[in-house]
Amino acid sequence: MNIATDPMHQFLVTRLFDFRIGGFDLSFTNSAAFMLAGVLGVTGFFLWAFSSPRTVPNRAQSIGEMWYGFVRGIIRDVNGDAGMAFFPLVFTLFSFILAANMIGMIPWFFTSTSHIAVTGALALFTIGLVVVVGLIRNGFGFFRIFVPSGVPAVLLLIVVPIEILSFLSRPISLGMRLFANMLGGHVALKVFAGFVPQLAAGLGATGMVMGGVLVMPLIIGVTALEFLVAFLQAYVFAMLTCVYLNDALHAGHH
Amino acid sequence: MAVEDGHSAGGDHAAGSGFPPFDQVDTFLSQLFWLALTFGFLYFMLARVILPKIAATLAERDAAVATSLAAAAAANEAAETAVKAFDTRLLEARAAARETAAAGKADVDGFVAAEMARVEGEMAKRLDAAEARIQRARAEAMAGVAGVAEGATTAIVEKLVGVKVTAAASRDAVRAVLSGGA
Repeated sequence: MNIATDPMHQFLVTRLFDFRIGGFDLSFTNSAAFMLAGVLGVTGFFLWAFSSPRTVPNRAQSIGEMWYGFVRGIIRDVNGDAGMAFFPLVFTLFSFILAANMIGMIPWFFTSTSHIAVTGALALFTIGLVVVVGLIRNGFGFFRIFVPSGVPAVLLLIVVPIEILSFLSRPISLGMRLFANMLGGHVALKVFAGFVPQLAAGLGATGMVMGGVLVMPLIIGVTALEFLVAFLQAYVFAMLTCVYLNDALHAGHH
Repeated sequence: MAVEDGHSAGGDHAAGSGFPPFDQVDTFLSQLFWLALTFGFLYFMLARVILPKIAATLAERDAAVATSLAAAAAANEAAETAVKAFDTRLLEARAAARETAAAGKADVDGFVAAEMARVEGEMAKRLDAAEARIQRARAEAMAGVAGVAEGATTAIVEKLVGVKVTAAASRDAVRAVLSGGA
């Protein structure tokens, strides 16, 4: 399959320049470049929008405030005011993922969040933080999250292993969800888009008309859907982070 | 883990499994490294610079709104007080007006009553005077009548009887007739 129609080619990590520390290959890749672009984009946007903040905001400042209020709303809804300590972290997670996802929607751009290394690391980091915070806040009482209250002792033999399993599956589902959504969406887009030249090549003029009339609207629709998914996955990741942090904050109330 | 040869990581994978997302072996370290670096940078910038700025902006706005609301409430209260004062003064003015009107009416009534009494007194006086005048006139008239009767009596007696009565006798006779016969 050539590059133009190969749906997997867009996920290749290519090295832009070498960078090694102690024999470890930490080369600056396209993935790193677009992560950096996203981070600089988010930082630059906020610094620009709030360079001279006003009481009555202009458009950019309004967007920034909506962004801020949106993430704060997630934490307030899920954790209450106790969760505000994690506001910068959740905001960073949301913004980082949103930026990476949205940059990935631009043709020829690389989607950093379509790699399990990135999403899995974010998920492991999040769950690791939940465990650490939970242990610091509640000591060994944190492990009460595995023991639902009001369950008969006999049933606990079954319920506790299930709770432990479900807790252990959290980082997997959290990382996998984002990774799979970005990967699947981009593959679907590429495959559908590939139909157009394939039809044109196979059926000539008829194929071109079919591609234009039947496939292009589909691609446009899927593209819109992918924008929604790109936003939604960032939201879901941030919200689940808050939900899991809730366990760490209130381990006793289960 | 390190890529020893000079090929790009991507080039290797294209030739390899053909499914780059699962070919993480020699790129995941670099991905993790740059993820940590960029994520850390973003966290630092957001937590230290940007989010405090936004929070300060929002707090400032809330304060401004609260101040404006307080000022509006104060103004509203002042307006209500003014309205109340106006109402009170209006009531006072109405009462004063009513009093003035009542006093004026009493004045006028008193004047009218006094004037009536004065006029009535004058009328009564005039009436009395007129009556006295009439009485006098009547008395004069009666006196005149008596004189005429005396003369007539003297003449009649002289003609009929041929006796010359004195003026005093005829006067007595007339008087006796006037006081008794009338």
